[in-house]
Amino acid sequence: MTAYLIRRLGYMLVTLIFVTIVGFLVIELPPGSYLEFYIDQLRQQGGNVTQDQIVALERRYGLNDPIYVKFWKWVSGFPRGDFGESFQHHRPVSELIWERLGYTVLISFTTLIVSWSLAILVGVYSATHRYTIPDYIITAIQFVAMAIPNFLLALILMIFLQQTFGLKVGTLYSPEYRDAPMSLAKFLDLLGHIWLPVVVLGFAGTAWTSRVMRANLLDVLNMQYIQTARAKGAPERTVIWKHAVRNALHPLVMTLGMSLPGLFSGETVVSTVLNLPTSGPIYFQALIQQDMYLAGTFLFFFAIALLIGNLLADILLAWLDPRIQYS
Amino acid sequence: MAKLLDKSAIVTGVDAQEVSEVGELSQGRLTWLRFKRNKLAVIGGIGLIVLYILVALGPFLASNDYMFQNQDYLYGPPTPITFIGPDGKLGLRPYTFEVSTRLDPEAFKFVFDINREHRLPLRFFVQGDEYKLLGLFPSRVHLIGVEGGQRFYPLGADALGRDVFARLLIGGQVSLTVGLVGVALTIVFGSIMGALSGYVGGLADDIIQRVIELIMSFPTVPLWAALAAALPPISADFTTLDRYFLITVILSLVNWTGLARQLRAKVMAYRESDFVMAALAAGASDRRIIFAHMLPNASSHIIVVAALSIPGMILGETALSFLGLGILPPAVSWGSMLTDAQHVPVVIEHPWLMTPGVAVILAVLFYAFLGDALRDAADPYSI
Amino acid sequence: MSEQPSAQAVAPGPQAETQVATQSDKILDVKDLHTYFFTDLGVARALNGVTYSIPREKVLGVVGESGCGKSVTALSIMQLVQPPGRIVRGEIVLHRQTGKGEEDVVITHLDRHSAEMRRIRGAEIAMIFQEPMTSLNPVYTIGAQIMEAVLLHHDVDKAEARARAIRMLDRVGMPSPEIVVDQYPHQISGGMRQRAMIALALSCSPSLLIADEPTTALDVTTEAQILDLMRELQHDIGMSIMFITHDLGVIAQMADEVVIMYLGRIVEQSPVVPLFYDPKHPYTKALLRSIPHISAERNKERLQPIRGVVPNPYSRISGCPFHPRCDSFMPGVCDVKVPGVTRLDDNRTVRCFLYSDRVEENNEQPS
Repeated sequence: MTAYLIRRLGYMLVTLIFVTIVGFLVIELPPGSYLEFYIDQLRQQGGNVTQDQIVALERRYGLNDPIYVKFWKWVSGFPRGDFGESFQHHRPVSELIWERLGYTVLISFTTLIVSWSLAILVGVYSATHRYTIPDYIITAIQFVAMAIPNFLLALILMIFLQQTFGLKVGTLYSPEYRDAPMSLAKFLDLLGHIWLPVVVLGFAGTAWTSRVMRANLLDVLNMQYIQTARAKGAPERTVIWKHAVRNALHPLVMTLGMSLPGLFSGETVVSTVLNLPTSGPIYFQALIQQDMYLAGTFLFFFAIALLIGNLLADILLAWLDPRIQYS
Repeated sequence: MAKLLDKSAIVTGVDAQEVSEVGELSQGRLTWLRFKRNKLAVIGGIGLIVLYILVALGPFLASNDYMFQNQDYLYGPPTPITFIGPDGKLGLRPYTFEVSTRLDPEAFKFVFDINREHRLPLRFFVQGDEYKLLGLFPSRVHLIGVEGGQRFYPLGADALGRDVFARLLIGGQVSLTVGLVGVALTIVFGSIMGALSGYVGGLADDIIQRVIELIMSFPTVPLWAALAAALPPISADFTTLDRYFLITVILSLVNWTGLARQLRAKVMAYRESDFVMAALAAGASDRRIIFAHMLPNASSHIIVVAALSIPGMILGETALSFLGLGILPPAVSWGSMLTDAQHVPVVIEHPWLMTPGVAVILAVLFYAFLGDALRDAADPYSI
Repeated sequence: MSEQPSAQAVAPGPQAETQVATQSDKILDVKDLHTYFFTDLGVARALNGVTYSIPREKVLGVVGESGCGKSVTALSIMQLVQPPGRIVRGEIVLHRQTGKGEEDVVITHLDRHSAEMRRIRGAEIAMIFQEPMTSLNPVYTIGAQIMEAVLLHHDVDKAEARARAIRMLDRVGMPSPEIVVDQYPHQISGGMRQRAMIALALSCSPSLLIADEPTTALDVTTEAQILDLMRELQHDIGMSIMFITHDLGVIAQMADEVVIMYLGRIVEQSPVVPLFYDPKHPYTKALLRSIPHISAERNKERLQPIRGVVPNPYSRISGCPFHPRCDSFMPGVCDVKVPGVTRLDDNRTVRCFLYSDRVEENNEQPS
C-alpha cells in the first residue's frame, strides 16, 4: 500500500506540473494584457499615462517578456510561497488566495459531507419504499433539483427568505463579526450563515447522489447474497444496512472523486450571487481583467484540491472494498 | 413472426406454442416499446418538441423585434389582458388597456398608468417589425398585435425596454441548440478517442488517458471561464455566430472525456469477445472492426450518454452567459438574460425578468425525462 | 415495509398452531400451495396448486426445467418470496421435534417478517443457493458471515461463535479452516465457496436443508465432492434435504424420493428407483429420453429433446399444461380439463389422463 501511495503522489506531482503549465497558457491566451486594461481604465477615469510610465509598468510586471520567462518567474516563486502579485489589488497573490481559498474549501467540503449523508438516507428510503407516494414525491423533487441552475436557486431562496421572513441573507458573517477574530460567537454566526450556500450548492448534488444510491441499492438487493442473509434469519433492517448498503456504497464512492470538481465549480458561480468571500468572484474578475498571476494561481490550487480529493476518495474506496488491492 | 397475443387469453394446443414465442422482437423495437411506456418520456418528448417549435417560430410569435429598445417602456410590466369587452361582458375577444408612461419626480422612476376605461382590442396576424423567419423568409407578420399601434409585451420589458418574450424565444434558439451541437461534438470526439485508446492500447492509450486525467483535474466552470475569457471580442472578424460555435466547442471540451473513458472500457472488453475474433479471422481491417462492429454495439450506451449530457450543457451555457463569459450582446441567450436578474431588489420589483429561469428549468427537465427513459429502455435487464 | 394486503389463506395469526402429535415420518408438508407474482405484465402463477411432503432424514429431489417453479417452492417454504410475489393460498406445516415430542408449526400463518419466522430461518430450515460466486457477501469475511448466523440464533459470545465457525468449516472439508475463516469470498475457489455456504447453512444445526441447484455452477469433479459431502453430512447429522435440480443424474445419485414439476404443478411423484425404471408421466419419460447415454448400443440413437419450449409464465393454458408438447396428447381430453392427482400403487402419484379420469377439483384460479 505504501508503495502505491508513493507512486500515486509522484504521479500527482507530474499531473500538477502539467496542469500548471496548461493553466498558465490558457490564462495567457487572450491577446493583450492587464496593462492595457489598466491603461484603458485610467483613461476612462480621465487620467492619462505617459510613455515612460507605460515602459516602467511593463518592466515592473515583466509584461513584455516571452511566455516561458513569465512562466518561470511565476513558478520559481512557488517553493518560497510567492505566487506573484495581483495587478488589480496590488497585493501578493498568496494573501488573497489564503483568505479566499480557505472558505471555498470549507464550504465545498461541508456541502460534501452534508449532501452525502442526506443522499444515502434518501436513497435507501426510496429504494426500499418503491412505488409509494413518498417515493414519487422524492423523485419529483430530485428531477427538479437537478434542473435548476444553482445560481437561480440561490436567487429564489434569497427572494423567498426576504419576502417571507424579512431576512437579508448572503455573505458569511454579519457585519459585526466580519473582521473580528475567531471566537465561539463568530463560529455560531458562521453556522447561521453558511447553511444557505451549503443548501444551494448541495441541492442538485444530493438529488443526483441519492438517485445513484437508489439505483445501486436496487441492483444490490437483487443479488444472491442478500437472499442468503435473509435465509439466515437476519432481520430486514440488518439485511438492508449491513449487507446491502455497504455494497451499494462502493460504486457510489467511485463517483466521489468526480463530484469534487462540480462542487468547486458550483461554488464559484453561486458565490457571485450570494456575495461570499470565496474564490469565485475574484477568480472571474481576474480572468476578465487578465490579472494572470492571480487567476493562474487559483487554477493551480483548484487542481491541487481536486488531486488530493481524488486520492482520498481512492483510499476510501480501498478501505470499503476488500476486493481492491493496490499493490 | 409471432403474433402478440393478449396474455390473459386462455390458449390451447398449437396457439400455446406461439404464445411462447412472444419474446422475438428486435432489440431496437423492444427499446422503443419500453420507451413509449414511460409516461415521463412522453411528457419530455412532447414538451421538447413544443419548445423547439416555439423558438423556431420566435420572431413570428413575438410582437416586437428582440433588439428594439423602447425608451418609453423601460422595465415595463407585462401587458394586461382581459376578456371582458367594453360592454362589461365576458367574451372571446381579448383586449388590453391603454398604457402610458410618466416619470414620478419624487421616486425618480418611471410609473406605468393603466387606463382601464380605454380598451384596445388585440388583433391577430398583424404587421409589425421586419424579420426573417428561420433566417430565410422575410416577413412582417406577427401573431398578436394591438389595434392602434401600442406595443404588446406579454412578459414585460427589461432594463433597456426590450421585449422579454421576444428575447426569450430568440434566446431559446441559442440555449436549446448549443446543447445539441455540443453533444454532437462530444459524441464524435469522445467515441473516436475512446475507441482508439481502447483498441490500440500501448503508448497512444497512455497518452490519451493522461490527457483525459489532465482535463478532469480542472474544475469545469473555472476552466470554461478561462477559455471563454480567451475568446476575442465581438467584431467584424469574429461574429456572434463564431463565438457561439467556439462556446459549444469549449463546453464539449471537458465533456468528451467522460464518454471516451467509458467507451475505452467497452472497447477493451469487446476486443476479447467472440464477434471481434470472428471478424478478425474473416480478415476485417481494424477500422472496419471499430466502426462497423464495436461502435454499433456501443451505440445504445452512446445515445444514452448523449441524452444525459444535454442538460449539463444547457446549464453550462446558462452559467457561463450569466457570468458574462458566454454568449455576448448583441446575441442573447437565457443565461445572459438572467444576468439582469441577479439582484434581489430588481427581481422583486420586476419578477418577469425571471422567466428565462423557468424556461431553462423546463428544458432541462424535459431532457432529463427523455434521457432517463432512454437509459431504462436501453437496459436489456430491466423489467 | 409496504406490502400488498394479504389474500384469504395467509392470515397472520398469533402463535402458530401447536399440537403435540405422534412422531411423523414427514418433516414438512406442503398442501395445495399457490404462489403468484403480480407484475405489470400480468399474473405469473409460479406455483399453481403444489402438494408434497419432505420425508424425515431423507432426501427429496425436486426436478424440472427452468421456470417450472422449483425455486419458488423453496422460497415459499422459507417465506422468502419478495413482492410482487406472494403466497396466495395453501398451507405449509413444519413438524418440529422438541424434547417433549412433536409440534406442528404452520409456516403460512406466520408473518414474513416476524421474529418467529426468522427463528425458523437459519436455525431450523436452512437454504443454500446455486451461485457460490454471488451467494456470499463480498465485503465480509467467511468467518464473519458464519458467525452472524450463529450469533443470530444462539446465545454465545463472539469467541465461541468463531470457534464454531472454524469447526463447521473443518467439518465440510475446508482446507486450513483457521485461515479461511478470515478470508474474503473472492480469495477462495468456487468449490471452497460452496463448502463455505454449506458450513454457513449447517452452522445452527437445522433439521431441514434446502439446496437449490447447489452444484449446477460447479465443474463435474467439484460437484462430485460436494454431493459426497452432502450425503455424508446428512447421514451424520440426521438431516432432511430438499434437493432442487434439473439434472437427472444428480437425482439418481442423491435422492430417495423424487417430485417432477412442470409449470407450477407436480406432475409425478415417486421413490427414485421406480421413477427411473418405470416412469409414468409423459413428461418424465421425455426427460429421461433426452439424456445422452454412455452405453454402446444406445449412444448410436439420436438425442430426443422435448419438442416445443416452456411457455411464457403469464400465459394460461387450458387443460393439462403439458399438452402442447406431449406425445400422448389426447385431443378433446387433455386440452379441456386439468388432470387431478391420481394415486398409483405404493406411494406414487401422477397427474395424467392416461391413468385415470380424475379431474382437478378446484379449477377456479384464485385471483
